Amino acid sequence: MNRETVVLNPRLAWREIQGRVVVISPEDSVVHELNETASFIWKHAERGRNVSEIADLLTTEFRVDAAQAQADTEGLLAVFSQKGLLAN
Amino acid sequence: MALPEQLSISIGNIPMRLHIPEGILREKARERYAQFLDDAPDALPIFLNSWSADQPCVVDNESRESRFTYDWEKSSLRLEDRSARFDGVRHEYGLDSLIRILLSVLLTAQRGFLLHAATVLRQGRAYVFTGKSGAGKSTVASLSPAGSVLTDEISLLRFVDGAWHAFGTPFWGEFRAEGANVHAPIAGLYCLKQAPEDRVGPISVREALRAMLPNILFFSRDRQMTESLLRLLSEFVGSIPSFELFFRKDRHFWSVVTP
Repeated sequence: MNRETVVLNPRLAWREIQGRVVVISPEDSVVHELNETASFIWKHAERGRNVSEIADLLTTEFRVDAAQAQADTEGLLAVFSQKGLLAN
Repeated sequence: MALPEQLSISIGNIPMRLHIPEGILREKARERYAQFLDDAPDALPIFLNSWSADQPCVVDNESRESRFTYDWEKSSLRLEDRSARFDGVRHEYGLDSLIRILLSVLLTAQRGFLLHAATVLRQGRAYVFTGKSGAGKSTVASLSPAGSVLTDEISLLRFVDGAWHAFGTPFWGEFRAEGANVHAPIAGLYCLKQAPEDRVGPISVREALRAMLPNILFFSRDRQMTESLLRLLSEFVGSIPSFELFFRKDRHFWSVVTP
């Protein structure tokens, strides 16, 4: 279980458009358009869910097994971190 | 009563009163914005080049915390609650750039934005053609009837009277200023693609947003303002039909835009 809280970068602007999250970094105007799974993770992270809670929700939403959901969640959060989408 | 240093203009129904102490710059600005002169009483005062507060005009002293600041080349812009200052403006090109930057900020709160796009009127409706430099904006304008082009470079799009409208702007390519101060409801957004044939195809809301974002003029680094812009763009692409326009850079493209 990974109960680590996910904290999104508070400097970023974002909006959900037709089910997908679009994120803009106002400081450098870089735009990130998230795919369906990443958008799902982003929205639940924004609501304060921790990593395991998001993975559980992913299991239900996308009908994947728990191990796969955990791996997908952690993998995408690592990408978020690389791209500066998470708080330091 | 208007002072001789003042030049009142309105672009996109955003009234601004420029206080320009230098006579040559003021006359060049008067010439450039001749189609946009408008003596609206509630205009935002803009003081150029440290226009002094001891002169007979009210400067906003109540709020010293700027809403927005921006440095452009050797000039600067500072927007306060009820006035703005442009400093270091040496020529009309610099003034024009600072006005665009200021407008991009003011428009966000007025449900509007600036887009690199040519806009052409046809049968009372505005057709907006967006694309990067070289995509064909000026070609679209040059292939359209004289007097029908609102701008060939920077379009001002704003939600007014219950609909999205395109406004004429003085912001044209090669620093020409030919726009008329008129507006019309928007018929559609066309994302320009050069191609060996003329054809048009609808694109999704997300595709339209993706095409627009690199062409938006926006200078704020503020998160809330950026989110306001995103909300506006989302509303825009959700209500305006959007298309990809493949065209050969000849006048026949109109036959696929308005068959």
